[in-house]
Amino acid sequence: MSNLEQEILRHERRWTAGVIIAVAVILGAVLYAAFALHVNPPSNIETIDPKTLHLSAEFTESNLGTRVEAGGQVTTRIVTAQFAFNPQCIVVPANEPVTLRLASPDVIHGILVTGTNVNSMVVPGYVSQIRTVFTKTGDLLMPCHEFCGFGHSQMWATVRVVPRENFRPDANGRVACEKS
Amino acid sequence: MRSLERLTLAHLWVAFAAFAIACFFGVWQMWARSPLPAPFVTPDNYFLAVTEHGVSMAFVLTTFFVMGFGYFTAETALERPLPGKTFGWIGFILGLIGAAMASYAILSGRASVLYTFYPPLTASPYFYLGLVLVIVGSWIWCVLMIVAMAQWKRANPNVPVPLAMFGTVANAIMWLWTTAGVAAEVLFIVLPASLGLIHTIDVGLTRTLFSWTLHPIVYFWLFPAYIAFYTMAPKAAGGRLYSDLMGRLSFVLFILYSLPVGFHHLFMDPQEPAGFKFLQMFLTLLVTVPTLLTIFTITASFEIAGRLRGGRGLFGWIPALPWERPMVLATGLSFVMLFFGGGGGLVNMGYGLNAMVHNTSWVTAHFHLIFGGAVVVMYFAIAYEIWPRLVGHEPSSSMPQRIQLWLWFLGMMTMSLPWHWLGLQGQWRRVAQFDYSNPIIAAWGPWVVVSLIGGLLLLASALLFVWNLLFLYRKPEAARLPFRFALPVHPVTHVPASLNGFGLWNVLVAFLMLAAFGWPIAQAFVIEAPHAVVHRVDRGG
Amino acid sequence: MPSFTASIGEVSAMTQPPISEEGQDGRFATRAVVTVIAIVVIAGLLGFVLIPIAQGQSAGLSAFQAICRSLGIQPGSPAFRQPSSATVAQPVSMVAWTPEVIERLHRPNEENGSDIAANICVSCHIESGAAYDPKIPHMEGQSAFAIYKQLHDFKNGARVNELMATIVQNLDDDQMADVAAHFAVLTKGALDPRTISSGDPDIVRLVEFGNSARGLPSCASCHGVHAGGPIETPTLSGQRKDYLATQLQAFAKGERHNDIYTRMRSIAAKLRDDEIEKLAEYYSAQLLFRPQD
Repeated sequence: MSNLEQEILRHERRWTAGVIIAVAVILGAVLYAAFALHVNPPSNIETIDPKTLHLSAEFTESNLGTRVEAGGQVTTRIVTAQFAFNPQCIVVPANEPVTLRLASPDVIHGILVTGTNVNSMVVPGYVSQIRTVFTKTGDLLMPCHEFCGFGHSQMWATVRVVPRENFRPDANGRVACEKS
Repeated sequence: MRSLERLTLAHLWVAFAAFAIACFFGVWQMWARSPLPAPFVTPDNYFLAVTEHGVSMAFVLTTFFVMGFGYFTAETALERPLPGKTFGWIGFILGLIGAAMASYAILSGRASVLYTFYPPLTASPYFYLGLVLVIVGSWIWCVLMIVAMAQWKRANPNVPVPLAMFGTVANAIMWLWTTAGVAAEVLFIVLPASLGLIHTIDVGLTRTLFSWTLHPIVYFWLFPAYIAFYTMAPKAAGGRLYSDLMGRLSFVLFILYSLPVGFHHLFMDPQEPAGFKFLQMFLTLLVTVPTLLTIFTITASFEIAGRLRGGRGLFGWIPALPWERPMVLATGLSFVMLFFGGGGGLVNMGYGLNAMVHNTSWVTAHFHLIFGGAVVVMYFAIAYEIWPRLVGHEPSSSMPQRIQLWLWFLGMMTMSLPWHWLGLQGQWRRVAQFDYSNPIIAAWGPWVVVSLIGGLLLLASALLFVWNLLFLYRKPEAARLPFRFALPVHPVTHVPASLNGFGLWNVLVAFLMLAAFGWPIAQAFVIEAPHAVVHRVDRGG
Repeated sequence: MPSFTASIGEVSAMTQPPISEEGQDGRFATRAVVTVIAIVVIAGLLGFVLIPIAQGQSAGLSAFQAICRSLGIQPGSPAFRQPSSATVAQPVSMVAWTPEVIERLHRPNEENGSDIAANICVSCHIESGAAYDPKIPHMEGQSAFAIYKQLHDFKNGARVNELMATIVQNLDDDQMADVAAHFAVLTKGALDPRTISSGDPDIVRLVEFGNSARGLPSCASCHGVHAGGPIETPTLSGQRKDYLATQLQAFAKGERHNDIYTRMRSIAAKLRDDEIEKLAEYYSAQLLFRPQD
């Protein structure tokens, strides 16, 4: 191998080492998030028939919204349908783990909550599940962020994060937004 | 004009015509989303426009450009006539009919499902059949590329295939693997639904199959740009390619690691298991490697050129480069946009950060910058570079070409950089009209207008590009010189057999796809996921 | 890298590689295969074994459970326990679309349908009928899926109307499908010129654009020609004005509640009374669009 080739190879090896280090750093960050912070993507292989969603027990209209279950866990159930969220306003406590469970009776929808890391698709046939802790109090915007038809632009809901002392479940454990 | 030139020109004109029309729609879309009052803004019109813009840019501009440039490269790099030109014309006609069919369906409002299809929303069968024809036409192209290389290898045993052709055939092979996903989706699910043969579909499976195609398709678009980086830019800069071997390695790494990574488009989907998302994310990390290697190799090649022209000191080679040549300028602009677009991609790649940006304008920013910017600017440069061969005339001046390239760069940066910021604020996608009375959204307004201005610059650049191709090439060519590709610093007399063919890589791709997609696809059948009712967008009610 | 410029001249004087070419090729191929397999094994180990087990430990999940969740064989995340709850289903409508029902509505028994229509429905539901009342909707050209769902809802009380409940008691699912499909293909007569209005621009905006601030999707996003909304969406064009207004009011007050997941209740509740009147007027004056076009 000529000097020139060797020199080229040396530079390339150095650069490749640098590239592998950069890639390893990113991988390290992901692994840290996975092992130490338990960050996972929202995967939940739990099927549910969209055609009979309205006949189900868990996603029946009167069970939607935030409920404190036996054992104290806070679960919010939301149905994303063309073209509104059900309910259109939810209340969640600050600084406590909240599990959001979403389902769609029709097409693909998606949600994000501004200012948080809540982000998930809602695919008909599966229950989407996200667990998070809301840290900032106030009214947050939760739009449907995936194209679901012509009414997509008008599909949004409000997430009201209240301090724990203002989070008062009723006799059934339910908390809803006050009608304005 | 010889028949190869006609074949290439036919493809390129279809590509650029679709591109120019789509730019108009793009500007109108941005106007509609802005606080400024725009005409004809109904959801029906907006989503029609988004579908038209997406299909034209992502399916028509790209496929026809890749095919046309591929035919050109096959003949010029291999220095022998393209075999099976008749089949090339058949593929072109099929693609043209398909594009026309799909356009008709879209423009008549019967296919507003966007270019990613969004099942169970189901469009007119003409929409899907049209796109099927485009893909079948491209498969004919793939076969011709593979045959051309195979014939050349038989006639030149133990000789390394010229890098430009190696890259083109790598792209063809990758495309055959890529289209398997969307072909299965359309053939078995979407088209039967569209024809009314089935009334419910498995949405999760449909999305999984589409994601098989959704990532490698962007590398299909990207290959011509990288082929130009390796085989045209160093020559235009007046230097040599730093390493031919690195080019081959990069192309092969793209085949391997652009295919089994589609789940990074589905990180937020519930139906894909978390372990498979991790696996595909790991593989996505590896697909950054060929790009990073390419950046090094091309920068080194440019440094050689700059120093040959007298550049001294650590960075003196940069101003010494012949920036007045469109191919050199485009490469430089492309690298700047690659930095921002690729950086955005690094954020999208990890599912933790992806959760902050999924389905926000950040994603829109990323792919406009990396594809619309870094790749399409090279499409312009390639067109400018090969046009004299195609039309038999040289450009009377390179100033309009440089103005057009700078306009594209400035427009793309102006349009997409604000989108990054807006995406982090939570601005979400596919919205026909924002409610600017909401204080959160009102704060976004000024940046949306800035993006709109960027879009107008892009439209001006697109029109100037077409004008340049039509009217700039008027000087009679001095002599019909054969088209030459860049030479490497070290002439290639031998490469490993694995980097002169694709047998090994096909086997490895099969292994990777089985590992990455095998169970997730099988899962849909094993767990019998419930189906959703088909929602037609092409019939009234 | 100044040595390059000097070395360019050396380019032609290159030497042969020391190892045989075939040996080099074989080694390269072997390394490539080993690298790819190793990558998949490492990624698989991390993603399917190490990460889930580590996460599952703090959640109190066994290694087996955690790995099953990462593979997607069990629902839930490897990092948390699944929430559970006990509730009772309270559906607002019992109609669930199945491929069989949809197929029947596309391919009905036409003779059956026209018989039932002639004997039972036509006297009230077409304009020249003897019992014609402006609050009764006419059926010609209506969506077959819409008619089927409403008949079903009348039968089991999801939608409350004593007269309709009595009439449909004796119809089974197939008969309902047949008569629904029968009306879907009938053409409509000429428009009554007294119902055509000039089209209030605010109402037109609501119909075509919706209103983001109020969270109102455009009516056309479900009721329009190429909308892609729910399949049971009724055709509003050319419908009786009084009927439309009455139904919107019923939705707004919650008296009618057979719309799945409040899709009409939540919209109607946001409309003002005058908007309801004007929307009813607007749609009653629109030309009918036949669903099979």
